[in-house]
Amino acid sequence: MASIARKNLFEDIPRLLVAQAGIMFAVSLVTIQTGILNGFTRSTGILIDRSEADIWVANQDMVGLELTLPISAAFLQQAQQIEGVQRAEALLLSGGTWRSPQGKITSVRLFGFDSAGTLFKPFEVTQGNLAELKQPYTVITDATNLDSLDVTQVGEAATIGSLSVKLVGLTTDVQSIASGTFLFSSLENAKAYATGNRTANLNCRMQNEEFQCTNVYQQSAGANPASLQPMPLTSTDAISYVLIQAEPGQDLQELKQKLEAALPDTRAYTRNEMAARTRNYWVQRTGIGFILGLGATVGIIVGMVIVGQILYSSVADHLKEFATLKAMGVPDRVVYGIIIQQALLMSILGYIPSLGLCIGLGAWTFATQGITILVTPIAAAGIFGITVFMCVGSALFAIQKVTRVDPAIVFKS
Amino acid sequence: MTATPINFQMNLTAPATKAAGQGMEVADSLNGAKAIVARGVEMVFQNGAQKFYGLKDINLDVNRGDIQLLMGPSGSGKTTLLSILGGILTPSAGSVCLLGQDLTRLNRSQLANFRLHNIGFIFQEFNLFPALSVVENVEIALEMKGTKGKAARREALHLLDQVGLADRAQKHPRDLSGGQKQRVAIARALAGNPQIIMADEPTASLDSQSGHAVINLLRKLAKESGRTVLMVTHDPRIIDVADRVTYLEDGMLQNSSAAVTHQLSA
Ligand SMILES: Nc1ncnc2c1ncn2[C@@H]1O[C@H](COP(=O)(O)OP(=O)(O)O)[C@@H](O)[C@H]1O
Ligand SMILES: [Mg+2]
Repeated sequence: MASIARKNLFEDIPRLLVAQAGIMFAVSLVTIQTGILNGFTRSTGILIDRSEADIWVANQDMVGLELTLPISAAFLQQAQQIEGVQRAEALLLSGGTWRSPQGKITSVRLFGFDSAGTLFKPFEVTQGNLAELKQPYTVITDATNLDSLDVTQVGEAATIGSLSVKLVGLTTDVQSIASGTFLFSSLENAKAYATGNRTANLNCRMQNEEFQCTNVYQQSAGANPASLQPMPLTSTDAISYVLIQAEPGQDLQELKQKLEAALPDTRAYTRNEMAARTRNYWVQRTGIGFILGLGATVGIIVGMVIVGQILYSSVADHLKEFATLKAMGVPDRVVYGIIIQQALLMSILGYIPSLGLCIGLGAWTFATQGITILVTPIAAAGIFGITVFMCVGSALFAIQKVTRVDPAIVFKS
Repeated sequence: MTATPINFQMNLTAPATKAAGQGMEVADSLNGAKAIVARGVEMVFQNGAQKFYGLKDINLDVNRGDIQLLMGPSGSGKTTLLSILGGILTPSAGSVCLLGQDLTRLNRSQLANFRLHNIGFIFQEFNLFPALSVVENVEIALEMKGTKGKAARREALHLLDQVGLADRAQKHPRDLSGGQKQRVAIARALAGNPQIIMADEPTASLDSQSGHAVINLLRKLAKESGRTVLMVTHDPRIIDVADRVTYLEDGMLQNSSAAVTHQLSA
């Protein structure tokens, strides 16, 4: 069958290009907006996704990876005693202000992890060496953070608070878009930055039938804190999470309950639960998720309006032909079929280059900004669905124009 | 050529008389003498609160195999009447019987199907599909009427040959002159071999020479195959080839007075 839909489209190439440019714009808008939302969502939980921990033990009030209260480092030993636990490692989060040699400051988020451990190794080190983190006052960070840290390469030094810091390595694809600049260090170094390298004592006493503890920080008199070596973690220190590796075959829900029972005021999460909780925090509880979600929604609506106008005017252009078919007695469903076929062709022709464009753009923003415009296969399929929906939906809208057309219009000169 | 059976693929109940007084005429049209029978056709256009009669009490019979002209001044209702007789517009009142089928008894899609298989339309402005080649323009009509694939292409080329345009098959409508375009439109109207051809001012957009060619072609096609041709025209030259001419004025047929309906020799 001579395809009227296809031939009508390719009859006027410049017009087709203009229409396709509009559809590409709409599809790209949707792809970029949803890609940023997806990339953002993914980035907020990527550290958790990539950890080897089966279970994360956190303070019961934890709302997301970076918003939690400290728990006792003593839980580390206690957790190791629990049956079904193969390994337990500490994760210590702290924050600070990074001051570059040029005096530029930026807010940093420090993750102290057990550098001899296996459970928190979410990064690929692209430059430098992980082993160097064992040195005092060393950190690694994502390559895309060099700009915000105001340094240019591995080996450069800066300060965090009153302590010096040296960049010993670079990683890739671990930075959460919305957060402060992530730095990774040994537990000892993280503790030093958390405490300003003062010694902490946990003073505990009974008061009104309650057991109360307070951390008391003391600075060694007369000593420059920067000249002191970072101290290893002790059971009186505070940490942020206990990462658990379960024994093979261990039921995780059961182990969670055992951990929660043994470690007061904590809650345990499987890795997926922890990641979901963190993502949920960002997407639901911060304005960022809302704004990006709004952007994606607006993208879809604007896209529909643009595609709708293009298809509507395209149908209007060929109205006399459709009216002629109707006058000849061609059934409505065949006429509508031509319009829908045209819409499907336009959606495919708009979708493929748009997706390529967005993937290219995503690669560029990732390389230069560390911002992922994430187009997963599922998102790509979803966007194709949205594109088809936009085009066919607009076609159905445009069909009204043909439905209402008086077949007698064909006799008008 | 003997009259081919009515191309109507729907299973319909036999048309019944609409009003007692119309029984005779409907029966007449059933026995095959008439291609078109219109009784008491009225068309009222609503212009806001104002009612306006586009057509008033039209009674018209068209014999099978005749070339019937519909003439009259601009705005007299010719196109409206043609649309009603062709089943494109539904009249406000009255009945239209085509090839024995009472059109007022058909629903929208049955009516479309009836048009598809029994009427070929020709328009003043040709209404070809500009994106399709000449042969594809004819082929698409054949395909819509059920001829598929290679058979459709072969038949389309045959029809183009009949209108003398076989050598233009691969051209696009934009490459053709007005007269050639109208001949393509005629070939398209002949697709599926409909019993009735309806044309609205087919020569109005043509110069006199190509107008002549189109008129002669229509005459030849009608006379060779026994088709009924109903044609709206302003073109006095066509009167020479017509069997009958009916005049319309202010929405009323002037055939009540014998003076204006001529019986002409073909
Ligand atoms: N859809 C319509 N609504 C209102 N008036 C109409 C409509 N179609 C036709 N008319 C009117 O009916 C009259 C007859 O029109 P038409 O059949 O096109 O005349 P002709 O073809 O003889 O020039 C004209 O006055 C025209 O304005
Ligand atoms: Mg007219």
